[in-house]
Amino acid sequence: MSSRLRHSRPVNATALVVPLLFLCAVAPPDDEYAAARARMVQQQIAEGDSWGREAVTNASVLRAMRAVPRHQFVPPGQVSQAYDDRPLPIGYGQTISQPYIVGKMTELLKVDANSVVLEVGTGSGYQAAILAELVKDVFTIEIISPLAEQASKRLKALGYSRAHARAGDGYFGWADHAPYDGIIVTAAASHIPPPLVEQLKAGGRLIIPVGPPFGLQQLLVLEKRKDGSITQRSVMSVKFVPLTGRKEGQESASPRAAK
Amino acid sequence: MESLGVQPGQLWYLMALYAVLSVPFLCVSACILAGFFLQPARVAALYGVTMLGSGAGAAGAVGLLYVAHPATIPYALALATATAYLCVASPSVWGRISGWGLVVLATGLLVTGKVQPIRVSEYKGLSYALRYPDAQIAGECASPLSAITVVKSGQIRETPGQISNYPMSQLGTLPEQAGLYFDAGSVSPVHRFDGDLSRFAYLDYVTGAVAYRVAPASPNVAIIGAGGGTEVLSALGHGAIHVSAIEVDPGVLRLLRGPLREFSGRLYERNDVSITIADGRGYLQSHAYQYDLIHIALLDSFTASAAGVNALNENYLYTVEAVSLYLERLTPDGVLAMTCWLKAPPRDSLKLFATLAEAYEKAGPGDPSQRLVYIRSWNTATIVLSKAPLDASRISRVRSFCEDRGFDLCYLPGLVREEANRYVILDEPVHFDFAHAILSPQRENAYRNSLFDLRPATDDCPYFFQFFRWTSLPTLIRGMGTQWALFVEWGYLVLVATLLQGLVISAVLILAPLLVFTRRATPRPARRWVLTYFAGLGLAYMFLEIAFIQRFTLFLSYPVYAVAVVLTAFLVFSGLGSLLAQRVLGRRSSLVALSVCGIVVVVSIYLLALAPAFSAAAGWPDALRIALSVALLAPLAFLMGIPFPSGLQLVTDSFESLLPWAWGVNGCASVVGALLATVVAVHFGFSALTLVAAAIYVVAAFCLARLEQRARGGA
Repeated sequence: MSSRLRHSRPVNATALVVPLLFLCAVAPPDDEYAAARARMVQQQIAEGDSWGREAVTNASVLRAMRAVPRHQFVPPGQVSQAYDDRPLPIGYGQTISQPYIVGKMTELLKVDANSVVLEVGTGSGYQAAILAELVKDVFTIEIISPLAEQASKRLKALGYSRAHARAGDGYFGWADHAPYDGIIVTAAASHIPPPLVEQLKAGGRLIIPVGPPFGLQQLLVLEKRKDGSITQRSVMSVKFVPLTGRKEGQESASPRAAK
Repeated sequence: MESLGVQPGQLWYLMALYAVLSVPFLCVSACILAGFFLQPARVAALYGVTMLGSGAGAAGAVGLLYVAHPATIPYALALATATAYLCVASPSVWGRISGWGLVVLATGLLVTGKVQPIRVSEYKGLSYALRYPDAQIAGECASPLSAITVVKSGQIRETPGQISNYPMSQLGTLPEQAGLYFDAGSVSPVHRFDGDLSRFAYLDYVTGAVAYRVAPASPNVAIIGAGGGTEVLSALGHGAIHVSAIEVDPGVLRLLRGPLREFSGRLYERNDVSITIADGRGYLQSHAYQYDLIHIALLDSFTASAAGVNALNENYLYTVEAVSLYLERLTPDGVLAMTCWLKAPPRDSLKLFATLAEAYEKAGPGDPSQRLVYIRSWNTATIVLSKAPLDASRISRVRSFCEDRGFDLCYLPGLVREEANRYVILDEPVHFDFAHAILSPQRENAYRNSLFDLRPATDDCPYFFQFFRWTSLPTLIRGMGTQWALFVEWGYLVLVATLLQGLVISAVLILAPLLVFTRRATPRPARRWVLTYFAGLGLAYMFLEIAFIQRFTLFLSYPVYAVAVVLTAFLVFSGLGSLLAQRVLGRRSSLVALSVCGIVVVVSIYLLALAPAFSAAAGWPDALRIALSVALLAPLAFLMGIPFPSGLQLVTDSFESLLPWAWGVNGCASVVGALLATVVAVHFGFSALTLVAAAIYVVAAFCLARLEQRARGGA
C-alpha cells in the first residue's frame, strides 16, 4: 500500500499542476474583462441604456454580447475602456460602436442560425463577431483597406470562421452572396443605397442610420415585404460616423424623438 | 476639436475666440475715445468722420470680395490700420519708419497673395469630401456671395432626397458627380452629362418627381435654385419643352462654363435651357412670364437643414406673399411644387403646407383643398399646389406614383386616414392629421397645439425656418431629456445664448470698470438721463439698422448686398448728420427733438410706402436698385446721425466725467441691440421692430431735453 502511495503522489501532483498551468496559459489573463463584459451586458444592454432607451431582450443577442471579447477589438490603449458605455476610436476616423447600439441593431435585425447577413462598415470586426455567434454566415465589407485587413485577421484569429471580411465600397453591397436575410449598415449614409435594398431578401430587414454626416441621424429599420414593397420605420435618433469618413468621431444615441 | 457632442471644454475655446477678436475692436475704440478727449470741442465732427470711414469700410469689404479671396480680407484690414498708424505717428522719425514698415509689409502680403489659407472645420462638408479616397479639387470661385470649391470623387453621391424602389440593377447606377461646396459646407452636385437623359431615370424615384404627374405634359418649367443642375436634368428627363433655370450665385455659372463645362455636358448652354443669375423671387416679380411648373426644391443642404442653422435667415421664397406671386406666374393649368427636407419631429413640410394653403385662400379663386398634393419619403416631402382643381386622372397618377415608389401620401383630395402612413411608418399619421386640420375650421387649434411654430411666414416676418416656441420647452425637455436641444433649431438658441453672453460680458467689461473707476461727482439725475439717452440711442440705431437690412434683402435680392448697402448708407449719411450737428450752435435738445420728429415721420412713411416702392422697382437693374436704396435710406440715416454727437458734445461740455459712461453704455446697448433686434423681429416682425425703435428715439429726445435743462441750471 505504501509503495502505491509513493508512486501515486507524483501523478496526483502532475494532475493538479498541469491543468493549473494550462489555465494560466490559455485562460484570459484578464478575468476582469469577463466580469466587465457581464456587467456591460447587464447594465448597459439588458436593462436599457443610460439614455433611458428600450432594453435589449433577445436572449441569443445577449448571449453573443457576453461571449465576444470586445476588448480584443479595440486598440491597445483603449482596452481599459472597452466595456464603457460609449463608442471608441479605432483609427482611420472610425469607431467601434457603443455596446448598446451594437446589441440593439443586432436585435432589430431579427436573424437566426440559418440567416446569411451582410454588414457594411466592418470597422474593428466586433459587430461581425457578434453576428457570427448568431447566424450561418456574415459577409462584411469595409471601404478602408487597412481596417478590412486587420478585421479579417482578427476574426480569423479569434475563430470566427463564419465571418468573411473584404475591402470594398459598401454602397454597392456584396452582390456575390446576395440576397441576404439581413443587412446591417454601421455608418451613416445620407440616403439608403438602392443596391442594398435590391440585395435584401423578401422578408428581410435592413438596419441603417441615415442622416447628415456629423449630425443627428435616424436609425431606420427597412423591411422588404413578401411582395417586394418596402416599409421603413425610425427606431431612434443616433449619431454615427459617416459611411466613408476617415476622421475620429464620436457616436452616441439619443432618446426617441417626441412626435 | 474632435467632438460631435457638447463638451464643456469647448467653452474655453469660445472664450479664447472672443478674447482674440476683441483686441482690434478694443484698440480702435480706445483710439476713437482718445480723440474725443484730445479734441473735446470737435467731438461731433470726429464722430462723423469715424462714421464716414466705417461706411467706406463696409462698402470696401464687399468690393474687395469681388476681386480677392476672402482670406485676403484680414491683410486688407492690416493695411488700413497701418495707414492710420502712419498718419498718427508721422510727427516722429521712428513713427514714420515703423509706420511705413507696416504699410509696406501689409501691402506685400496682400499683393503677393501669400496668405494663410482658411482652416476649414473638419466637420464641414468640404473637409469630409476631401477625405474620400480619390477626392481632388477641380476648381474654385469666390465672390461676395460665397466661396465655391469643386470636388471630384467617385464617392460623391448626392441625391435630392431618398431614392425609393429604384431598380438600379436594371436602370443603372447613378452617374458620376462632382460636388460644388458652398463656403465649405452645403453641396450641390454637378452630374457628368453626355446628353443621354436616360441615365437620370433615378430622378423619377424621388418625391420631387411627383410634380410631373400633376403638371401639364411637356411643361414650360421654372426651376428656382438651379445650382448644379439636378432639377434641370429632371425637368428635361420628364419632357419639359423649356427650362428656365434661376440661380442666385454667379459663381455656379462661372464654374459650369469653366472647369465643369465639358463634365456637365454644357447643360446651361442647351437651346432648351436658359440660365439667369438672379434671386428667384425678384426674377419672377420683374418678369411676367407664365410657366406650367414652378419648382423650388431643397434650397438648403440636408446638413444645414438638420442643424437648424437657417433659423435666423430671412427667407423671402417661402412667405405667403411669395406663394401668391408664384401663383400669378402660372398658366391656368400650372402647378407650383416645393420640396423640403424632413426633420424629426416633422415641422418644415407642415409649415410649408400651411403656407401654400393660406396663400391660395388669399389669392383664390376656389378651395385649396381640391388643389393640394402632399407626399413624403423618410427624408423629403413635396407639396404641389395646382391652380386648377385636381381631376380624377391626376389624382390617380399621383397615387400610382406613390405606390410604385413607396412614398406616403399625406394629403390628396379623397385620401382617408388609413391610407396615410403605410411605408415610412410613424406612430401617428401626423402629416395627414395636420394637413386636414389646416384645411378645416380647426386651423388655429392646430397652430396653437403644435410643438413648433408652424404659422406661415410673411414678408414682415420671413423666418420660415424658425420653429422654436418657448411654451413648448417643458414638453420638449420632458420628452427628450437632456438631448432636447438636438431636436430644435440651433440658430435661434445660439442667438439667445449670444444675447445673454452679450449682456453679461458688457456688464463685466464695460459697466463694472466704470462703476469702480469713475468719479461720482455728477449728480444722480444727470447720470440717469445720460445713461438712458445713450443706451436708448444704441438700441434704437441698431433696431432700425437691422430692420432695414432685412427689408432691403427682399428688394436687393442678395443679403450681402443688403448688408453692405444699408450699412454703408447708414454709416455715411449718419456721419454727415453728425458733421451737421457739429456746426449747430444753441440748444442741442431742439436739434435732437427735430431730428427725432423727422425719424418718426420717415419711419411711418416707410412702413406704408416701402413695399409698393419695392414692387414697382423690382425689375430695375442691380445698380439702379442700389441707387434707389441709398436714396431711400439717406434721409433717415442723416437724421439718425444727429442725436449721438449732439448728446456727446453736451456731456463733454457740461458733464465731462460722464463721457466714458456715455460711450460705454452706448457700446453695450449697441451690442445688445443688434442681438435683441433679431429676437424682436423673429417674434413680432419688422414693423414692430421699427415702431419700437421710433418710440425709443422719442424717449431719448425727452432725456436730452431734461439733461440740457440740468446743464443750464448748473446741476
